[in-house]
Amino acid sequence: MNEDVRIRAWVVVGLLFVLHFLLHVGLSIGAGAPDLLTVALLIGAREVGLGPAALLGLVFGLLEDALSAVSFGANSIAMTVVALGGGVTRDLFVGDSRLFVVSYFFLGKVARDLLHWLSVGEGVRQPFVEQVAVQGTIGGAYAAVVGLALVTVTGLTREST
Amino acid sequence: MPPYGSEPEGRGKRRDIVFAGVVLVLAFYTTYLAPSTQQGIANILQATVLRPFIATQVRLGDARLRAGQIEDLTAQIDSLSAVLATHGALVDENRTLRELVGLLERAGPHFVPASVLRPGTPGSESMFFVDVGRSDGVAQGAAVVAPHGLVGVIREVRENSAVGMDWTHPDFRVSAMLIDGTTYGIVDAARGVFREDDRLVLRGTAYNADVRPGTVVVTSGLGVVPRGIPVGKIDRILSSEGSWRKSFYIEPMVEPGSAIHVLVVTEGAEGDLAGAWPADSIATREETILRSDASARNPGGA
Repeated sequence: MNEDVRIRAWVVVGLLFVLHFLLHVGLSIGAGAPDLLTVALLIGAREVGLGPAALLGLVFGLLEDALSAVSFGANSIAMTVVALGGGVTRDLFVGDSRLFVVSYFFLGKVARDLLHWLSVGEGVRQPFVEQVAVQGTIGGAYAAVVGLALVTVTGLTREST
Repeated sequence: MPPYGSEPEGRGKRRDIVFAGVVLVLAFYTTYLAPSTQQGIANILQATVLRPFIATQVRLGDARLRAGQIEDLTAQIDSLSAVLATHGALVDENRTLRELVGLLERAGPHFVPASVLRPGTPGSESMFFVDVGRSDGVAQGAAVVAPHGLVGVIREVRENSAVGMDWTHPDFRVSAMLIDGTTYGIVDAARGVFREDDRLVLRGTAYNADVRPGTVVVTSGLGVVPRGIPVGKIDRILSSEGSWRKSFYIEPMVEPGSAIHVLVVTEGAEGDLAGAWPADSIATREETILRSDASARNPGGA
């Protein structure tokens, strides 16, 4: 049963990875599309240990940095730390409740935006209120809705052991 | 005694944490890489993992650009079509006005130029207004002519305008003859079911008269309309009454709908206007256009 869930989770991670870059890069939708890469990372981070989760975050972050015009490495730091945080929750929370799922994706996305804002540097980043408080909150809510829908539709929950 | 199963888990967990720490350090290190190294990593990722997505963006961008260009080209084509459509009408009007000027020079001073206005109301299809009247010397029954022949006659004259009827009107009739003067008759309108079927008919010709298709029919002067104005060309026989009279369909020289600029014959005009339409140059409007197009294509030819 858990193996089936694991396979399903990685399939979802792969699909979200492709969809994220298709929407943001291929179709140039921009902010209108949700940050599916962070959602994928948050799902994937709970399927593996801390080390592999951090590596997944680094890879995702490097891919985002390859498309970033400024501050190479900011996405790598943010995604790696978010992945570590996601991996830690694996040992702390079962992840069945809706409240947890919504909070997990919302806080994960907000944390990612905050860490990116911190890593980018003063000369480049936009005001905190605009980029983190407003856009981060909206992005977090968007990610929470998408994540909750995904988890509900695909059944990515484990039975407590 | 070591706890059952705890040591292998502990070592694995420690390895995991160390590995995570190393990855985290690597993540921070990427910000301190030389710009050229950072660019190199970005280029490799763009050329490999991200390549299909970038290619999709490029293709969609090209498609959007082409769509925009097609829109612009379509707008340009529409504008050019509008200009060409206007140009065609201007060329046609220019040709008509030049022919009218030539006719005026040949016809003499007793012709006054006028513009035709059609009412467009139901029942008035065969009627028209001209912008010349009594003050210009126009009288009732005066002939209205175009460069290629007779359009109609004036029915009612006012001070500065007049009402005319073209040859499609049921009341229109004019005394006519073959251009060689051998055969006389009356030309009137034969209405068709549709306006496009309206024809001219030459009636009352002698049964034994030699009337051949293509022969030009002109006004005979036996009436109000002066002699020598082209009316049409013999098309084919319509009917014969016993052995003593024949009627013929006539192909008209002028289609009334095409007459926008005309000349109106005024009082004092000569009785014979054959000189204004030399016999060798009498042709319908369509024949004239075909001839001028052919000579434009082959300027050196006969």
